[in-house]
Amino acid sequence: MQSDTATALDPITLEVIRNALPAISDEMSADLRRASYNMMIYEVGDFCCALVAPDGDLISQNVGGVSHFVADLGVVVVDAIAQWGADGFAEGDVLITNHQRVAGQHLNNIVVAMPVFVDGRIVCFSMVRAHWIDVGGLSTGFGATGSVSDPWMEGLQLDQLKIVEAGRPNETLLKVLRANIRFPDASLGDLRSQIAACQLGARRVAELYARYGAAVVHDAIAQIFAEAEQRCRNVVEQIPDGVYEASAFLDDDGRAKGEPIPIHAQVTVAGSDMTIDLSGCSPQRLGAVNSRTKAGAMVAYKCLTTPAEPVNAGSFRALEVVIPEGNIMMASFPAPMSGWSLPIPTVVDTIVAALAPALPAGVPAAHLGVLGGTIIFTGLHPRTGQRFIVQSIEGGGWGGRPHEDGPSASVSVCQGDVRNAPIETIELRCPVVVEERRLRPDSAGAGRHRGGLGVDVVVRNLVPGKWNLWQTRRRGCPPWGLGGGKPGEPADYLLETPGSGGFESVDVTLHDVPADSRAIIRTAGGGGWGDPLQRDPELVLRDVREGLVSLEAAAREYGVVIDHSRLTVDHDGTAMLRASR
Amino acid sequence: MGRETDFSIAVDIGGTFTDLIAYDAGGARFLHAKSLTTPHDLVEGILDCVRRSGGQLADAGEVVHGSTIAINTVLESRGSRTGLVVTRGTRDVYAIGRGNRPDAYNLFFRRPRPFVPRELTFEVPERTLASGEILEELDEQAVIDVCTELREANVDAVAVCFLHSYANPEHERRAGELIRRELPDAYVSLSHEILREYREYERTSTTVVNSYIGPIVSRYVDALGGRLAAGGFGGQLWIMQSSGGVMAPSTAARRPVAMMESGPVGGIIAAAEIGRRLGFPNVIAFDMGGTTAKASLIRDGTPTVADGYHVGGYTEGHPVLSPVVDVVEVGTGGGSIAWIDEVGALKVGPRSAGADPGPICYARGGTEPTITDANVALGRIRAHAFMGGEMALDADGARAGIAARVAQPLGLDELAAAFGIVEIATAKMSLAVREVSVAKGYDPRDFVLLASGGAGPLHAVAIARELHIPRVIVPRFPGHFSAVGMLLTDLRHDLVRTIYSRIDEVEPERIHDAYREMAAELATLIDPERLRVEAFLDMRYAGQDFTLPVPVAEHELVAGGLEVVRRRFDEVHQRRYGHHAAGERAEIVNLRVTGLGRRAKPELQDTPTPANGAALQRAPVYFARGAAAVDAPVHARDRLQAGALIEGPALIEEYASTTVVFDGDTVTVAPTLELLIDVHD
Repeated sequence: MQSDTATALDPITLEVIRNALPAISDEMSADLRRASYNMMIYEVGDFCCALVAPDGDLISQNVGGVSHFVADLGVVVVDAIAQWGADGFAEGDVLITNHQRVAGQHLNNIVVAMPVFVDGRIVCFSMVRAHWIDVGGLSTGFGATGSVSDPWMEGLQLDQLKIVEAGRPNETLLKVLRANIRFPDASLGDLRSQIAACQLGARRVAELYARYGAAVVHDAIAQIFAEAEQRCRNVVEQIPDGVYEASAFLDDDGRAKGEPIPIHAQVTVAGSDMTIDLSGCSPQRLGAVNSRTKAGAMVAYKCLTTPAEPVNAGSFRALEVVIPEGNIMMASFPAPMSGWSLPIPTVVDTIVAALAPALPAGVPAAHLGVLGGTIIFTGLHPRTGQRFIVQSIEGGGWGGRPHEDGPSASVSVCQGDVRNAPIETIELRCPVVVEERRLRPDSAGAGRHRGGLGVDVVVRNLVPGKWNLWQTRRRGCPPWGLGGGKPGEPADYLLETPGSGGFESVDVTLHDVPADSRAIIRTAGGGGWGDPLQRDPELVLRDVREGLVSLEAAAREYGVVIDHSRLTVDHDGTAMLRASR
Repeated sequence: MGRETDFSIAVDIGGTFTDLIAYDAGGARFLHAKSLTTPHDLVEGILDCVRRSGGQLADAGEVVHGSTIAINTVLESRGSRTGLVVTRGTRDVYAIGRGNRPDAYNLFFRRPRPFVPRELTFEVPERTLASGEILEELDEQAVIDVCTELREANVDAVAVCFLHSYANPEHERRAGELIRRELPDAYVSLSHEILREYREYERTSTTVVNSYIGPIVSRYVDALGGRLAAGGFGGQLWIMQSSGGVMAPSTAARRPVAMMESGPVGGIIAAAEIGRRLGFPNVIAFDMGGTTAKASLIRDGTPTVADGYHVGGYTEGHPVLSPVVDVVEVGTGGGSIAWIDEVGALKVGPRSAGADPGPICYARGGTEPTITDANVALGRIRAHAFMGGEMALDADGARAGIAARVAQPLGLDELAAAFGIVEIATAKMSLAVREVSVAKGYDPRDFVLLASGGAGPLHAVAIARELHIPRVIVPRFPGHFSAVGMLLTDLRHDLVRTIYSRIDEVEPERIHDAYREMAAELATLIDPERLRVEAFLDMRYAGQDFTLPVPVAEHELVAGGLEVVRRRFDEVHQRRYGHHAAGERAEIVNLRVTGLGRRAKPELQDTPTPANGAALQRAPVYFARGAAAVDAPVHARDRLQAGALIEGPALIEEYASTTVVFDGDTVTVAPTLELLIDVHD
């Protein structure tokens, strides 16, 4: 069917290639997710699959999974070529790296990359970044979060090593890995899945080139980038020119307790160009909340411009991101980065809030603003003698919107198709009982359109073990409202040990507890949008009937009086109460 | 159980039409009929269709039936008032779902809208553990108290989903007894009876959907059985499932959730079969009926079947875990209404005039112009030839409606407006075809487009040209194609049970016991004499989550046999993902047992030779915007000989459909009388 003489790019070929490139990274992603060995990959989708050109341009990336991996593999490719030289690769090579000097994330995020050769030349790298359940040190589970003071304490550092050389596995390196990580079967299984996904991507790319020829594929990619850029420009063009700013803060970095971390975004719109300047965010910290990433700015830009379009290098050509060296998000090695992603959802919301007055269709109020609600409990399984780990990410409330209430119990803006762990899955694998997973009444920020609700998950551990209950650090600056809306209730972690007499708020990592202790994982409600006194009293009544808002909160926050016995709105009482505010 | 028979009837109810096809094996003869779907009384439409076909219900050994009633009840939120009873602590599991947001960058995403509001969700004290042990006994008085509240809330249906009921269903069973005793008129679904598989949200959602549609669908199935019997039918009624197999009506009444895609799936089974017989293993099945158009990909002769899907789409829809053939659907059918939006742009669909009132040209009170009206205005559907002339169309009315509602507001002439409606519809349907092919990296140039549905052959060639698909096949009976497929299916039942264990630790007898129980259940569903049982163990390496189905035979459910299965899993993993780990621990998660019962099927090529000589007519037809009408040949399909060659432009008319062929396209009639159209590129 292929036209042998085709050198010009016809529209149908462009359309096929336009869809085939994301389909390749999606197919890599589907295989990785299904064959992976840890919930961070198969449930949380804490990975990305991508095709990256040798110059670092992102050709395509999978849809779904965590958003803050957007277009962030280019620097890794550029660094690989700088280290090995443009001629330093053979067919069948596979690189492994997690070094923070360039990768700038926690060490659990292991990048595997394979050069794709066509006619003896590298046309791109087929790549998978994925979260390993352990890389030694204190990295078990979701990562060491804020508990380390340097990368050596965090875990094993791998700097652009060839784990496979021209098709031959590097057995020495594999032995080093096996001996230095806690769940070697799981992580080396994930490594196998990552390599297989890279090989699949490489095969698909080779098929595409064989079918259409390099010239046509390259023309198509250039055209696809140009179109992606234009689509973004068309949206930004509609925003009035100006300089927009907003601020927020995180409670602290976990080390210097009580010392807030300022977050500040300055957004400049000029024609169809946008500059997001994050210079006003905190300098890098001694606590492990540092990173080297433009993800906050890029996620916000993507959400505001072309949320439904595939991601490629063209998606960010009309965006300039300013983050000076030494900033918390452009920290210099060896700054501790194990809690690297902590500030990002707050940064995204701050950028969105800055643009709130400028966007014609409006923006939602703030969402939970953190990457969980994480459940992390480890111990030894009494039946198998094996180490087990309970992991789940719980969603929280999203902000009210100009036209409707915010959704409840949904994961953050940095997490897309990230799913909580089913209670039954957790209990099949681990000796715990999940006693409750429920919405938190009255957690939503009040507003004409209220925020969504947070959740409470109550877990009892049946055997002794260690809880990670490290606060998400947005208690001082809970999800804010917009246009008169109220903030949502903040998140918390609570712990009760046998005989302790009740639950207490805690901020601990790898905290030893006896059997029959209970933890509550509590997520924030979203901020409200608009004046709560303008909310339709019938909607308040509905929320009361459903048990989402208490009778007291109906009166206190919304000025709505409800007849207890008949569960109807007392309109006269409501009018009087609202008039008195 | 159904007896083998010489005469079988298949009836497919769509949003607009009810299609019937019957096969008489003795005379190698097909009967067919079509009538308007009667939404107020679907059964009446079936009986009307039987009367029109000239067949006798009393002669039929089998009636196979597929219907959109289940899916329409969900999509239109017309289900029953349903209550939900759950384990203490899990009231919000159904609302919270998995907490995910598939549209990663969408700040305005929406979550699925629950079919049970929080105020009708009740917790009762009880708790079973993953091992099946009871941690807390069921509080029976609490169940009875909940029943009082459910009664006061006037619910028609109840769903019960307790944690770990797949491992030990005792509490669910007991609660079910109490609820059925206290609320004898309520439709009750217990989660372990619908889906005995772990993951509480997906199981709850599937069970809730089953209860939500249960009262409506079970009443419908009962009424159908009764009315067929009253009409003299003494054979076996079968109901089409989403999986492509059929089930008994009593099963359908208990598991209506298995009927969700009951309508379209027949056409895909038939498309795969016809493609295979003609030597085209790679087929895009395209079906356009009265309300929607659907596309599905068939590779190497096999339709894609999934373990389940999200009704209403992955982003905002409801998970229903019941095997289903993959389909992409858009709201564009013959009855889709053309309208002008608030900024003056012309839109087509998704609202449909349906069967009642239907398009303007049906002259049944419709006032809004539809795609069918546009085709009538362009001369592509001839008013006096529609459905073999059984139903005369009002062409003047169609033209006047297009003029008033579309042409005048837009300042166009009536023909340009009709062209615009058809072109917009073509573009929208091309997107569905693109989604199953190009969007998944398949080049449509490697496929044939098999067009069915009453309106499919009218538009298929234009869609193929837009996507550079080189060939279109129009099968026989395109307007009854889903019904044709129903005659080609087997009985099928899929059972699943979670048995979570390491394969080197499990007592094989535990799996074998479950197998025997499930096989015994299948023997109550399918005549044991023709029952063939296939079993699979869903397996994975310890630490993985997704599983692969590994085929297993009953005699392997012994200690040594499971070692063979273990090695087979390595092979399956290697084939699917390109790697395996023979040294690692492997786990069993589910036992899946499928029962199949073969049915006698028509050999479609055994067709009588048509009458000699095409009865050729001519008629004015508009093929291209801005060009004058062409005095085009109009062929009667049932007069076309095998091997005949037709050059476009032309119309090929048959009872329930018309094929439109353009200038430069050529049609060859296959030996088995399908139309093979080479599309001019």
